[in-house]
Amino acid sequence: MIIAAFLNITLTNFVMNRNSGDITPSGIQYPDKQTRLFRLVAADVTIAGMIAADSWLRTSLIRHWRWYLRLGIAWFVISQLGAIGPRAPLGPQQVVNTQHPIVCVHTRLIDEVWEWKIQRTLQLVREMGADTIVEFFPWAYIESTQDYYDWEPADRIIRHAENQGLKVIARMGLVPGWARPRDSTLNYLPENAFDELAAFVADFAARYAGVVDHIIIWNEPNLAFEWGYRPIDPAAYARLLEAVYAPAHAANPDVVILAAGLAPTLEPEGSPNGLNDILYLEQLYQAGGGNFFDALAVHTYGFTEPPEAEPAFDRLNFRRAELLHEIMTHYEAGDKPVFITETGWNDHPRWTKAVRPAQRIQYTLDAFRYVEANWPWLEKLCLWAFRYPAPTYSYPDNFEIVTSDFQIRPIYYAIQDYALHREGNTDLWLPAPEPAS
Amino acid sequence: MAARSRTRVLILLAAAITAAVVLIQNLPRPEPAPEELFPTGEMRIAVDASNPPFAVATADDLFGLEIDLGEALADHFGLPARFVNMSFDGLYDSLKADQADLVIAMLTIDPLRTGDVLYTRHYFDAGLVLVSPLERPIQSMRELAGHRLAYEFGSNADTLARRWLRRIHPFETAPYELPSYALDAVRFGHADAALVDAVSARLHLREHQWQAALHYVTNNWYPIAVPIDEVARWQALNRALQILDDNGTLDRIITKWL
Repeated sequence: MIIAAFLNITLTNFVMNRNSGDITPSGIQYPDKQTRLFRLVAADVTIAGMIAADSWLRTSLIRHWRWYLRLGIAWFVISQLGAIGPRAPLGPQQVVNTQHPIVCVHTRLIDEVWEWKIQRTLQLVREMGADTIVEFFPWAYIESTQDYYDWEPADRIIRHAENQGLKVIARMGLVPGWARPRDSTLNYLPENAFDELAAFVADFAARYAGVVDHIIIWNEPNLAFEWGYRPIDPAAYARLLEAVYAPAHAANPDVVILAAGLAPTLEPEGSPNGLNDILYLEQLYQAGGGNFFDALAVHTYGFTEPPEAEPAFDRLNFRRAELLHEIMTHYEAGDKPVFITETGWNDHPRWTKAVRPAQRIQYTLDAFRYVEANWPWLEKLCLWAFRYPAPTYSYPDNFEIVTSDFQIRPIYYAIQDYALHREGNTDLWLPAPEPAS
Repeated sequence: MAARSRTRVLILLAAAITAAVVLIQNLPRPEPAPEELFPTGEMRIAVDASNPPFAVATADDLFGLEIDLGEALADHFGLPARFVNMSFDGLYDSLKADQADLVIAMLTIDPLRTGDVLYTRHYFDAGLVLVSPLERPIQSMRELAGHRLAYEFGSNADTLARRWLRRIHPFETAPYELPSYALDAVRFGHADAALVDAVSARLHLREHQWQAALHYVTNNWYPIAVPIDEVARWQALNRALQILDDNGTLDRIITKWL
């Protein structure tokens, strides 16, 4: 009985303490009540099992004490080996040092398997001089069963972001199976599930208030793929914003609701693939959507043009964001801020929409300088993408700033020098070589 | 005595059965007819025609190394080739949705996809190469110590050069804005070697009729992908690629474009 009680206490402590107890400066405590309750039940089941095994153990122990001793030694060795594996305890609270708070990056952490990789990625973000990240928190991951929330995938990102002194702009999306028709895609959100999503957003906003005060509702709803392969419908998206707006503010009065970043595209009216982002935003305002967001998220890519290239309705380049902002100022006072949550250049050696690596660095730095000088309405310029959890083995990898295996690409150092105001006068590369005379 | 001879007979019988099974397993089997491998009667090839010189689209045509390779494979099987042009995002899904029989699109083996597709042997290696003068060849990282290495600033070669600097005796670095400048630096005698991707190197050597030593230091193999349940098609494509390699067709196609 004494042995059973001892083992029980050890196991209970083990179960209760593993991965628990991180209390961050904002007071967010991990893990949540449901997980703790589950662990308590698990501990009680352990106690019952131990009591049942007790009488058998007492007789068996005397007869086979040598084997129990060996088992004990083996258990100790294995538990010590387990401790060698990578862990990610929170370190001292960090503060981001930056001279250019416009610098921001889009991370891809939700699919990361190892917590230490989340921590390392966010350390690198902070050291680069970005004080904000954009991250995706799929509804389908967190509430895969109706009314049962598994916050752990989100918790581990938020606690490390907070520990690194980073703010988080959260993007909501992906519909769990229970909230959509059978055989529909993860991006299919039926109108009768708008309130379900709104309830999830409100819970999210309340849970992470203080660290996450900016929430983007959906992603690129002007693409058929992102709208569940249904006809593009700005009025339906306006109704979605309306459904979310009040519950989110009731849950966190400081929350800023952002209308989704639209995909930069020239698809005409009636196209099965999508709708021109300029037309979509205009129709969103005409449907009354402007009353239900506090800021606009924008996606704008430079492709092969420099950041200063003139924008046009029928042209995709960096300054297309100005055309979207013009629509905002046409329909309202224009005092709503804009967050560019996806931007950048690609330096794949063969892709026709890519530039050379040196150009990519130059264009990226010039873009930061341009927006700071010319776009007072812009809050953040977030580069796509800081690092992927796994390589795609194609041109999307050349949007990365740090590779999946943590190779730091030269653009990282260039952005870091800019953010920390360490830019020197030394040239980054040599002039074109001339034939020897 | 009788028991011993019976045992001997049984052993011999077992050995004979085993040998027969092994023999039957290894007998050459007839290759399935092309119509069985490609049931639509044509070879549907998914390509991403935004990657010159591998695949490029004009208003009404597709051309490039991978288009020629697709046509050579279709000729091998005696079928017409039909190219399905799409962006990278749709390539693997095109196999799942039965929109294409195979993908030839600068793919690299992706471990996360190996549950869905089979990759054939590679038809090209686009890894990084060290390019140096024929008379003073530099073949590896070790031989760089004390020399001057040219590369494109910000490229994968730059990342690798920075890593090498931490691992071997110092060498001098010479970053340039373009890979062609890095290669010119070697050609004009300003650097001892250039580290560039194989495609840039081959294009530069061809353009300037320059004979230089070229040694791979990393690999970036391009295979063809087929659906995972099409094992016979995968085997047939592997054999076809081997034949195209052996009879010089693959080399001719690569030399035409690179």
